[in-house]
Parts: sequence; C-alpha cells; structure tokens
Amino acid sequence: MERFAAALQQLPREQGQVMAALHLAQEELGWVPRDAIRLIAKHLRVSDAQVYGPASFYAEFRFTPPPKTLVSWCSGPTCRVVGGDRLRRIFESVLECRLGENGPKSDDGESADDYGLWLGQCNGTCERAPMVWVNGRVVGPLSMSEAVSLARRIKDGEQVVDFPQQPVKIAPAVFQDAEAVYGAEQAPASGAIAAPPTGAEA
Amino acid sequence: MSEAYEALQAAALIAWGDRDDPPRPLIRVDISTSSVAAGADLLLDRLQAALTAGPIEADLLRVGSLGLSWLQPVLEVQLPGKLPVVYGPVAPDAADEFLAAALQGVGDAARWAVGVRAATGQDGVPPLSASPFWAIQDRRLMAQMGLIDPESIDEAIATGAYASLDRALSMQPMAICDLVEAAGVGGRGGGGFPAGRKWKFLLGAPGPVKYLVCNADEGDPGAFVNRLLMESDPHLVIEGMAIAAKATGASHGFIYIRDEYPLSIVRMQLALQQAAAKGLLGAEILGSDFSFTLEVTRGAGSYVCGEETGLIASVEGLRGMPKIRPPFPAQRGVFDKPSNVNNTETYANAPLILRHGADWYRERGTPSDPGTKMFSISGSLTRPGILEVPFGVGMDELLLTAGGGPAPGHTAKGIQPGGPLGGLLNASDLGLALERPPFTERGVLLGSGGLILFDERASAVDLTLYFSEFCEDESCGRCTTCHGGSQRLVEVLRRIMAGRGDANDLARIGAIDRTLQNSNCLHGQFTPYAVRGLINFFREELDIHIDQRRDPAQVAPELIRYRISEPADPALEEAAAICPTAAILREQPPAAEVDDERPDEESPGEESAPLVPGWRIDDAACIRCDACRELAPNAVVVQDRVVAVLQPTAAEFGSAVAGG
Repeated sequence: MERFAAALQQLPREQGQVMAALHLAQEELGWVPRDAIRLIAKHLRVSDAQVYGPASFYAEFRFTPPPKTLVSWCSGPTCRVVGGDRLRRIFESVLECRLGENGPKSDDGESADDYGLWLGQCNGTCERAPMVWVNGRVVGPLSMSEAVSLARRIKDGEQVVDFPQQPVKIAPAVFQDAEAVYGAEQAPASGAIAAPPTGAEA
Repeated sequence: MSEAYEALQAAALIAWGDRDDPPRPLIRVDISTSSVAAGADLLLDRLQAALTAGPIEADLLRVGSLGLSWLQPVLEVQLPGKLPVVYGPVAPDAADEFLAAALQGVGDAARWAVGVRAATGQDGVPPLSASPFWAIQDRRLMAQMGLIDPESIDEAIATGAYASLDRALSMQPMAICDLVEAAGVGGRGGGGFPAGRKWKFLLGAPGPVKYLVCNADEGDPGAFVNRLLMESDPHLVIEGMAIAAKATGASHGFIYIRDEYPLSIVRMQLALQQAAAKGLLGAEILGSDFSFTLEVTRGAGSYVCGEETGLIASVEGLRGMPKIRPPFPAQRGVFDKPSNVNNTETYANAPLILRHGADWYRERGTPSDPGTKMFSISGSLTRPGILEVPFGVGMDELLLTAGGGPAPGHTAKGIQPGGPLGGLLNASDLGLALERPPFTERGVLLGSGGLILFDERASAVDLTLYFSEFCEDESCGRCTTCHGGSQRLVEVLRRIMAGRGDANDLARIGAIDRTLQNSNCLHGQFTPYAVRGLINFFREELDIHIDQRRDPAQVAPELIRYRISEPADPALEEAAAICPTAAILREQPPAAEVDDERPDEESPGEESAPLVPGWRIDDAACIRCDACRELAPNAVVVQDRVVAVLQPTAAEFGSAVAGG
C-alpha cells in the first residue's frame, strides 16, 4: 500500500486521472481495496464516491484479491460457436466455483483463493477458440476432454502454465536495435535504399 | 518536404540500413497478441539463445503481424540475395531445428514454409499471393504490417511514415478536410459517417481548446482489427490523428484503448514517446507553428464506452455512461470542450489519402463505401485471421475462399457480423457484398470489421441469447428502457432456450423491441438486432424450439441428454474417467430406479431409458459437456430430450411486456 501511495503522488490532481489511479491500484495491489479508494479520492481532491462510482462501473476493477491461479474463461462469440459454454460448465463443475468466484470453498463457506474462475473479455485470439487464459496466458484451442484434464490439474494445485508472466512483459533487451543490427558505418549511402520495401504488393 | 522531415528521414534510412538486401540472414519474428498466444515470445527467446550461442550468424527482428493468425507463430527468413520466405507455425521447441534448416535455404525447412513474400516463388515455395488468403487482399493500410518493427519509429519513417503529416502542415485546415471528404472515408467503427464532414464540425467549433479522441475501444467481441493496427503500425494511427488535429485545430488528443489490449497500450505509448522525441508531436511540429499533444487513456472493460459519448465520459474519469445527443461532441465533448471522436482505422486512413490523393483512394471500394477495410474473420474457419480488402468484395470470398470455410464435414449455417449489436445472417446471404447498404437492408450492421462464421453445430437461438445477455450485462443502467428491456428480452430467450417457450413469445419480443427503440443511445436501440436476425433468418429453428421443444443443433443442455449406445466399447472406461461430474456409472441399477429419478422425463418412442449392462449415464449429474463423446465417439450418443410442458412461472411470465 505504501508503494501504491507513493506512485499515486506522480498523478496530476484531477478527476480525469481517476481511471489511471484505479489502474495503478490494481497493478500495485492486484485489486482495489477500500483504502485505495480513499487514498485516490484524497490525492485527486474528489469525493470517495467520485472514485467508487467508476471503480464499480468498470468490470476490470476488482474489489476482491485475485486468486493464485486465475482461470479467465473467454466469453467471446467465436468461442461460443465452437463450444465455449460447455467449457464454462466443465470448469465450474471441476473447480466447484461459479464464474466470477474463487475457490475452493472450505466447509464454512470461505474461499481459499487458491484458484478462481473469472470472466475474460475476447481479445481477438479467436484462432485459439475455445480457450481460457491461465494467469494471462492463452490456453487453447481446448477440446472438452483436455479442458477437464486442465481443470483437474489446476484444482490439484499443479502449475499448468510454465510462464505465468503476462504476455506483454517481453523484455525489450532481447532485441537488437537498428544501430546494433546494422552499424551506421556499414550502412550504404541512403540514396541507394530510399525506396520502401515493396514486398507487400506480392 | 520540410527540412526537418528530410533530416528525420535521412537518419531513419541510415538506421534502416540495407534491410531490403541484408548482408546476412535476417529473421523477422511476428510478436503480437496472436503470436504470443501461440508462444512466439518463447520462440524468440529460443532463437535469441541459439544465435547468441553461435556459430550461426543472423539478425533477429521483432515485427508486427501479417494477419496470418492461424499459422502463428509466424516468422520470416530473408537470406542474402534471396527473397523473404514466410514460415509458420514454428513451435518454440522446434527453434533450433528450424534455424538450422531455414538458414541453409528452404530445403529441410519446407514443411514450415508458407510462401515467398514477393511476386514470384523461390526454391519450390510459391509466392504468398498464391494462397487464397493473400490473393484477395489489397493491403493499403496493412502495407507495412508484419514487415517493420512497431517499436521503432525509425523503421516507420524509413518506410514513409509522417511524410503525409509533413505535407498536411503546409496545407490549410479546410483544404485537408475537403480532401478527406472528397476521398469519402467513412467512420470505420460501423457508422460510416464521412470523416471529412465530421472534421469540419470541429473545425467550425469555437476554440481555443479542442480535443481529438481516438476510439480504440474495439469492444465488439470477435473483432480485432484495431488491435492488429496498433500492434503492427502504431505510427500510422498517430500520424492520422496529427493530420486530423491540423485539419480541425485540435490541440490535444486521447487514444482510448481497451484494457484487454495490453500490448497495444504498450506499443502505442512507446510510439507516442518516440514521436514526441523526434518532434512529430508536441510544440511546433516539424518546425511549423502547429502544436499537438497526445496521450493514451486505458479503458477498463466496458462495452458502452465504444459509444462516443460513453467514451468521452470514460476519458473524463467518470462512469462510462452515454449521454443524449445533442449536444454532439463537436459542440460539447471531452471536459465540455469541442471534440471529435473517430475510430482508430478511420484516422489511419488519413495518411494514405494525404499521400495518394482522393482519386487514388476512391479507386477501391464502392460509391457508398470508398476505400479498403480491414476485416477479422473467425469462427468455423480453416484460416482465421485478419485481412484487408476493398469494400464491395463478396462475403463468401472472404469467409469461404480466403478463410477456407468450415472444416470438412461441416456446413456453414450463418454469419455474425458487426458484434453484439450487429445481428445475425443466414448462410444463404454469404454472397452479400461487404459494404453497408446490403447489410442495412437486411436489418443487420456491417460494423467495425469482425465477421464470425458458424456451422450447423452452433445454435442460432443460443447465439441470440448470448448476444442479448451480453447487451443486458453491458447496459450502462442509465435508462430503464435499456437495462430493463434487455433483462426482459433475456428472460424470454432463456425460457425458449430451455424448451419452455410459448406461442405468445414472438409478440412479447416484438413489444420489447418496440420499447427498446426509446432507449437513450444506440446500445439499447440495437440490442434487439440479434433477436430480429433470429426471427428473420432462422425462423424454422426458432419455431422448432418453441413448438417442438427441441434443439436441432443439440446445444441447449435442457433439451438434450447423453446415452450409452455401445456398452461393450472399451473406450467407455476412459470416458467415465474424464467425466467431470462422474456421471458415467458402472453399476447396473434396477430398471425402476432409472425412471424414478427423473419423473418429468419421458423418452420419445421408448418405454423407458435404454438399459445398458455395465454403464449408464446419470442424467441429473451430467452437464452435457461432450467430453465423454470425444473419447468414446462410437459408444455415446446425444438424444433430444422432451421436457415436460410446464406453465412459465409467475416471475418469468409476469415480467414480459406483453405477458398474458
């Protein structure tokens, strides 16, 4: 929370920064706790309600901590036409939690947050339909029997995705930039290569 | 050409170097959301490791996407003195093997070869244009996508980026608006409103502070053209917005990107920083007296933020609820200042028009929709992906020829264009030209470029229910007409889906539809498009659902049941093990028990459920997921299950508008 509070100080104090502040909370804390809403309101000099309003409107902002293993079920229509809803029923029954919940539930009804089944919005990797994301990583296309096996492994606490990092965290360092690839001294005179590549018309 | 731009381009060309004719092998790896989903980031790591370990010498380059989604991970190898060859799918584990083969020439790498990215083939590999997916394309917007590094502004400038902005800076704002209007580029979000005319509204609005907004919310599930655009050529969008800013007198712009596109957000932000560092954004752009700044705003998962007034509210940090127009954004938009909202692809067209002129632009497309359009195709296709074609191309060419149609053994049943508000079309309309008028005539929307083909395994009723549920869920809640109306619609459809529809349901749906037309914004007004498509184009299927309480597509869980047909099949052992609810039971129960369990269930044409020695399926536990049938396809069958005719409950019934 301290780290979040410090990062918050970087944002300008205006209503227009509410979304940015909420995203910041979710990134730093994994969710949007009540204290974060108060902090944001105080920093942006708006009322708590002016922060809670947007926070509760947008599906992305969560008021509960994320589970250790998050299964996001793709709710898109492409998945739907190739059996996506059967996929949901499989995960719900194996993980014993409904869409949007965490599990497993203990006897007194508390959820342990070992895993969760949440709704994911289509991001257009439809060639992998029907699919789910496990900790942000696409898993698919899944046959129904594969889905059952995957869900069981998650329930057993197995780490099913070897690379739990978010797909976008691709270290830029692995790429050589243009200068490194083609040292400036090797480059021919610019006139010789002035034409843009023409391969696209192929 | 301004001196400032000339200097930028000279520097960029030095950075570009001899990339067109590389002195040592050049490998371009497609790094996009689609390819990363297939493991392209891991593939890149492996290739990097292999090259670092030596002794192979080659250069590795990250590029955007060519749109060949079904072949991901896709990469391209260009050997010295040779034409570039596109390969895919190359699994990360095969990196070393691939590298060894492909760097020797096609030879052993032939099994991965897709095509030569040139006019002719090479070493037995045909040109890409020989592929039906490529042949129908006319890549204007996509010309550089998949070829340049989207994270390098030098590569963009070396291939011509920002030259159009440079030209626009020397033009009068009205002249730019006129040019864009003459080209006839329409709003690519689906509205089709002429961009040039929209820009004139903002140009005529009182200043000094005016805003531009780029709608990169692309909320329609199943549409992903803006994602490819931003991930593969972000500078095209920035340049287009800067041109629009010059044309309208806007001083600041917001690029509103949905949060489901993290890579687009990262690349767009990076591109903004790079453009600012080169003096292409900020104060006195390229030495002119024109200033314009841009920022990225992240959405947070709300569909109605794709509506322009909802999007503006979201940019302001409020709940993303649409407002009643007028006032239009050009009068009162972001923070009550005059604003212009366009789709990402609309802005991206501006540099092309500035560079080539209105006549060139109108060479493609139709009178109602000039130019080209990017489409994302998915669903029951052998080749899902993203392509760019002129407006007016037949939908069958796109889906059946380029996309390959459904897998063998399946037949196309219908098309879902334009997202949740777009409606449904029957496969008999596959011949429709891809332009707005024929779609509008049928009461559906062409929309923003997503096309989903479905086959006989999908249920039109289920899809309609799905889209109606989506609209209900995403209704902002401001007007009761919309959120209450969509709830009632969903209730009726759920009942029909579960086999408890009745003869009055069509009248009820009609009444709900008429009521929804009084919603404040398009979200409510277009919510019934899906159910209209169901009634107009899939009437037979709907009637079977209502009259016979049967689902011909065998999707509705309430209307089907699974049965063992071949009790001796050894595959049943595995099927029983995979069943997620342990509904496949080994013991043989007495006949009476089976029937007593579900008194409301009578199998048609049989006295009782078939008694099978050894195995039976517990209907109450079965969730109809089909996993068992995958493993024991010859031993498990799906049957229609007749539900008892029950009166709808008061709660279901009373709430329907025309109920009773």
